Amino acid sequence: MKIGIPRAFYYHSYPRLWECFFRRLGHEPVVSSRSTHKTLEIASAQTETENCLPQKLFDGHLLSLIDSVDAIFVPRILSIVNGHNCCPRFGALLDATRAEIARGVPLISIEINETAEPLSKTLLKLARTLEADRRTANLAVQEAFAAMEQHHREEAQLQQAQCDNRKFLLLGHPYTLHDHFIAEPIVNKLKKLQVPLELMTFGDNNIAPGDILWCVFNKMYRKLQSLDMHVYAGVIQISTFNCGADSMMTERFRRMCKHNGVPYMLLMVDEHTGKAGVDTRLEAFVDSLSWQRANMAI
Amino acid sequence: MTTERLAIPNLGNYTVALAAMVTGMGAEPWWSTYTNDHAMALGIAAAPESLCLPFKAHLGHFIEADDAGVENALMVNSIGTCRLNYYRGMVEEILKDMGRKIRVFGLGFDGFKPPVFRYFDPPLIPLLRNVSIGVEKIRTIDTIELQTAYTRAREVNTGETSLLTERCLRELSEINSKKTVRLFHKDVRKRFEAIAIDKSHEPLRIGLIGEVSLLRDRQLNQNLEQILGHMGVEIKNFFLLGGEIGNNFGISMGYKINTAKQLAVVAKPYLESEVGGHARDSVAHTINCAQAGFDAMVHVCPTGCMPEVSIRPILRRVSEDMDIPVLQLSFDEHTSALGVVTRVEAFLDILWSRRQRFVGRVNRPRRT
Repeated sequence: MKIGIPRAFYYHSYPRLWECFFRRLGHEPVVSSRSTHKTLEIASAQTETENCLPQKLFDGHLLSLIDSVDAIFVPRILSIVNGHNCCPRFGALLDATRAEIARGVPLISIEINETAEPLSKTLLKLARTLEADRRTANLAVQEAFAAMEQHHREEAQLQQAQCDNRKFLLLGHPYTLHDHFIAEPIVNKLKKLQVPLELMTFGDNNIAPGDILWCVFNKMYRKLQSLDMHVYAGVIQISTFNCGADSMMTERFRRMCKHNGVPYMLLMVDEHTGKAGVDTRLEAFVDSLSWQRANMAI
Repeated sequence: MTTERLAIPNLGNYTVALAAMVTGMGAEPWWSTYTNDHAMALGIAAAPESLCLPFKAHLGHFIEADDAGVENALMVNSIGTCRLNYYRGMVEEILKDMGRKIRVFGLGFDGFKPPVFRYFDPPLIPLLRNVSIGVEKIRTIDTIELQTAYTRAREVNTGETSLLTERCLRELSEINSKKTVRLFHKDVRKRFEAIAIDKSHEPLRIGLIGEVSLLRDRQLNQNLEQILGHMGVEIKNFFLLGGEIGNNFGISMGYKINTAKQLAVVAKPYLESEVGGHARDSVAHTINCAQAGFDAMVHVCPTGCMPEVSIRPILRRVSEDMDIPVLQLSFDEHTSALGVVTRVEAFLDILWSRRQRFVGRVNRPRRT
């Protein structure tokens, strides 16, 4: 069976996991191609107007898959890290998708709720509904987890390798940082400016619980808490238009960075973001920081 | 020692009852049944731009309180998936940055003796007495709300009901004994019955669902209830505080509305999980209303509201499947009252012609 996986939300939150899992069960995973402006165009005719940008991209990816696969994988995600919760959108994702965007399309779904039950168990259940025998299911789960962990390890190594002591930290959700439409222009521009850059990683699930219940933001919060101003030259946060969680947390992170003496910039990406605007802001930010550094040297 | 004042967030007309409860804590309540224009402007100027309208309203309300020299403010705590979780902290930080002295207390989910009680340390007996007066007032306001909705849709002289509602609330806010509240409650129905109504008029019945502040603060929803009422629509606002408290704490408030559990069962075919806020309830009420023969639903939410926006596709599906029109309105600081009126008028035109098509005869009100 061809199983479509939209290259959005949970594809990035669980890198490599889904492809490996479905392949090992004997199905053919089909991941939609990287998001472009075209993805948004496909979505714009059908998606809810007030959705956030990542959700619109998700809808676009899903619509682009419909004709080429037998079923599409859309989980209901209530919690990704034990003791934490997710954006309310994730809880409604499956039902909202089923109600409108993916009407009449066969969906494969599970309810991911780490707080109630570990993901491995949830995956075994999913394997059973896909009529896999117990042994194959166990193997598939193990391999899928191994693949995801390997990805996390590689990514962490890659980011750690940026040992320059004046690097920039790029903050965002897993599904914005690795999205071609949202983050790629920003990352490319920073590379062109020859700025050492570290992307936020989300592999480590052992985070101290705090007052932030959204797991992604708690991870960012912990990261910012221990941010060394001698190592990091600045923090650039990518936010997407109409993201409710961002609207709350970026304000808080801005305050934190100010308190820690690390320059902070918020880049809001929306459907109409022009390259020139992003370029100008990044150049200005990088320039002003280098001047500041030069001034301090004198 | 003069009593310190405590600004309480507004919950529409129910603020009258909340104020009575706060009195029992040994503080003088500072309240209003709606956020005024001035407070709104203050909140919009001070809040991060993409936060939702209720946040801006609450912030503005507290800034205004601080200007008036109020020492304390009370904000609800929440533990759901919605942004509301972090609102209290954010309000506190913004006020501090502005150099405001007002203290913001949280209420709920922080133990048996939340900081606000530790600070005021109210003696138990007067507190309980005032809480019970408050509960009684909530019941009374529930009745006022229901009577208002019924009468306003049928009144002969437009505006009479709204005036009476205001008068009732003002009188109710001045009462401070449980017995008097009870007597007043008994009297409410009679007072509304004294208003001349057009018995031949069969109003459209519309359910109002969505986000709580939007449902209850008439500044935020551009006075939607009154707009609809004056166009001859009997609304059923699904946020009745009495029913809400009854469900959450198991206290009998004199009548039963559907409990959260029952609503979850109703919503299940369309929405299987809790989304946050009142999103699941909105779906369930729509299904219930479709079955009860309501003419339509109006769903209100602040622009970008996380739970309510994510269920909009589901509401559209329910609307299609169960043949009940749903008007989805979203509100932000740029929403104009006139825009709302236009959309509502167009929607009502459709509803009247629908009724004509299905029932054959309509008695449409002359009023506009």
